[in-house]
Amino acid sequence: MNEVAEMTAPVAEPASGRNAPACDAAVTRKEPKVLVCDGNEAAAWGVVLSRPDMVAVYPITPQSSLAEYVAQFVADGVLDAELVEAEGEHSVLSVLHGAALAGARTYTASCGQGLAFMFEPYFRTPNLRLPIVMSIVNRDGITPQCVWGGQQDAMTVREVGWVQLFCETVQEVLDTIVMAYRIAEDRSVMLPVNVNHDGNYLSNGIVRIELPDQAEVDDFLGTPDVNWHAALDPDRPMGVDPLTGGATGPGPALFVGYRRGHCEGMQNALRVIVEVHEEWARRFGRRYAPLVEEYRLDGADHALVTIGSMAGAAKDAVDAARERGERVGLIRIKTLRPFPVDAMVAALDKVQAVGVVDRAVSYGWNSGPVHQETLAALQYCRHRIPCLSLIGGLAGADLTQAHFERAIAETAKLFDGPCPRTPVWLNAEDR
Amino acid sequence: MSATPTIAFDATRCDGCGECMSACASAKSTDGSSAQSRIRIVRDEESGSWGIAQCRQCGDPRCASVCPAAALAKGDDGIVAWDAERCVNCLICTAGCTFGGIAFSPAEGHVVKCDQCSDQHAGAPQCVSACARGALRYVTAANVYNRWGELEDLFVPGLGGCQGCNTELIMRHTLRRVGPNTVLATPPGCIPGMGSVGYNGMLGCKVPVFHPLLTNTASMLTGIRRQHKRKGRNVTALALAGDGGAGDVGFQSLSGAAERGEQILFVCVDNEGYMNTGAQRSGSTTYGAWTATTPIGDSARGKAQDAKNLPLLMMWHGCEYVATASTAFMEDFYAKLEAALEASERGFAYLHLYSPCTSGWRFPSASNIEVARTAVETNFAVLWEYRREQGLTLSRDIDDPLPVTDYLKLLGKFRHLDAAQIAHIERHVAEQAQVLRELAAMQPCEGRQVVGRQSDLMAVDLDQ
Repeated sequence: MNEVAEMTAPVAEPASGRNAPACDAAVTRKEPKVLVCDGNEAAAWGVVLSRPDMVAVYPITPQSSLAEYVAQFVADGVLDAELVEAEGEHSVLSVLHGAALAGARTYTASCGQGLAFMFEPYFRTPNLRLPIVMSIVNRDGITPQCVWGGQQDAMTVREVGWVQLFCETVQEVLDTIVMAYRIAEDRSVMLPVNVNHDGNYLSNGIVRIELPDQAEVDDFLGTPDVNWHAALDPDRPMGVDPLTGGATGPGPALFVGYRRGHCEGMQNALRVIVEVHEEWARRFGRRYAPLVEEYRLDGADHALVTIGSMAGAAKDAVDAARERGERVGLIRIKTLRPFPVDAMVAALDKVQAVGVVDRAVSYGWNSGPVHQETLAALQYCRHRIPCLSLIGGLAGADLTQAHFERAIAETAKLFDGPCPRTPVWLNAEDR
Repeated sequence: MSATPTIAFDATRCDGCGECMSACASAKSTDGSSAQSRIRIVRDEESGSWGIAQCRQCGDPRCASVCPAAALAKGDDGIVAWDAERCVNCLICTAGCTFGGIAFSPAEGHVVKCDQCSDQHAGAPQCVSACARGALRYVTAANVYNRWGELEDLFVPGLGGCQGCNTELIMRHTLRRVGPNTVLATPPGCIPGMGSVGYNGMLGCKVPVFHPLLTNTASMLTGIRRQHKRKGRNVTALALAGDGGAGDVGFQSLSGAAERGEQILFVCVDNEGYMNTGAQRSGSTTYGAWTATTPIGDSARGKAQDAKNLPLLMMWHGCEYVATASTAFMEDFYAKLEAALEASERGFAYLHLYSPCTSGWRFPSASNIEVARTAVETNFAVLWEYRREQGLTLSRDIDDPLPVTDYLKLLGKFRHLDAAQIAHIERHVAEQAQVLRELAAMQPCEGRQVVGRQSDLMAVDLDQ
């Protein structure tokens, strides 16, 4: 584990280049601490900076080292939080339900089968409007047996009502975890947030990152504001989640009120996510596209749509294609839920064809989940444009620059003929 | 009006030995002869069973109302007292009492009646001490009822339980004692079904209360207790759960919280099945029992497996406190609730309450307490407690139980049992009792005082 103090070193020059987020030069801030770590450790530092009251964990590959880092930070006194080593993911989230209703800022992390096992309380979390932050270190689903990265876990639960953010880089993982608390605890939102980082690629990929100053993060986050709406506290006795009445009495209106309020909170989150990312850029100098990133769309006639860490290799492929004179760009979705319809439509309106690369499968539509999301957004675009589904990176399979060059080529074919109704399986020939 | 202690008589245990009369006479009369006893046992020639003639300390005593001299009166201690100064020896009182509770004593020259030995042996009537068979019991639970009665009832009136169900009794009495500085979890089942959390915008209790999932009661309470404790507050984390939410689908979270030693008071109200949803089988259902999912047919005769012993499983978690209790033995329940509440400030406390289900077990709604008592007296439900430092203790004598069939015949769910099934249940009950007997007899072992002992249930005094 990295000791921050030892890793504190002057930064030779500002981070620059494509993979470093844009800096606001005018910002004056403390010299950042720097460390070299993987995404799981970066996430754990994000947790430390956010000062949760309670963390509950249960290990699962590839999340385990994240749980271990958090436990070590608590043991070392770096993080002053109650740590509950629960007997399974179902209890992990249930402990946090209780803690949040008692007023705690909370954190956990899971993925894959752990998320599946957690589903019962997971489904309930946003309905209770609990601002819990949870990392999903994305992992593919079994069966066939696998312990490798993929986004089938998060994609499968995308209609449950959590805010879902997907990170591209290790630095973005840390920064987004801290930002997630501001988004979740915003009184107009009050929803749990999943911060997704790809298993293997981000969880184990080691890079240099900057650690924000604790005092500045404290100022950014403010004090936890968690259970003003629903509390289990003898000082404010109330019944939490009584039975609604079905078709009787005020039952239908009560239930609709909850569901509609939840939908409104999700829509409010779109605004808050943008505001929080703006403030983060002002305070800490790192700017991320909060909803949808447009990469080299100017002058592009077609584009790839990506989500998560694959955008790195995809941008390399786009750069290479641009050098060859191909008019291609890239759209990266950071916020999948609530779905940023306007931002997505604005990006799609700039091109005439898209190829959507998914790391998960939508069985019902014989395509990828993000492909389905993109098709839905196209309804609001000026023109109907062809939209190809490409699926790759399942169960840890590599998505290299070569795979994305093929994806670009397949997308370009949409100008020459009808759009296939079946997905392109990018790793089908990989051995 | 306050309730008062009483002397209870169990005809099934009386063999007519007469020791009670001897003890009474030597305590209360001048010549010590049994003829002077203020309790008399009387044989019913038709049934062959024994009855008693003794003052019942009636709430509205007829002896007192017919007395022309105001020589008899019910006191604040509940005892109907006789005043020698006022008595005119008219003996009208002996005609007024229908229980044979007051009679003329030739030796004394005036009427005499039981005063529960309130003079020399207060709190220990001599007839009760002399009864080796346990047919006489001095029931002091009224003391506790009076004390509890002064505590605030934290459930709203008019909860919608089935007629005759003892769960409302458990809920009200538990919450009175645990008090308002509590967060109450009632996982899906009869307890929230009765409206404890609330319905359609209405609220069911006066303490913070919630529906956990059926599966995560102990986990949610973990977060609640720990967060309040982190903020320096000692809030009781209380669960009132059914056997399914505790021992079946909820067992993982229960086991995890117990293993971690979370400071939770977990009360399992065991009605041996999913009674709220129509009486389906659970892991707690008795072998042979009819349920909606273990029906009786040509090729099935009720549940094919024995119930798991959930309280013993909890004991093996090394909880701070584990006990079984019954609403037929409220004084014992109160003492255990008190102990469990105190233990829950140090670690996990688990209380297992037998809750006969009038509708799901098929018996008349007036019989709930009788069914509960018979379960205990037949060893079908053994009362015991476990303390981490002391090991397991039996709460009452289990060596001379009533026949198990006395219990089985009370319940419609066992109506179809054949001889082999009855023998199976009898064997299982005997085995469970033997296991508990041996656990109670365990000797101290390395570094830990595991001592088996046997306490007298009725000797428990909460005032001490």
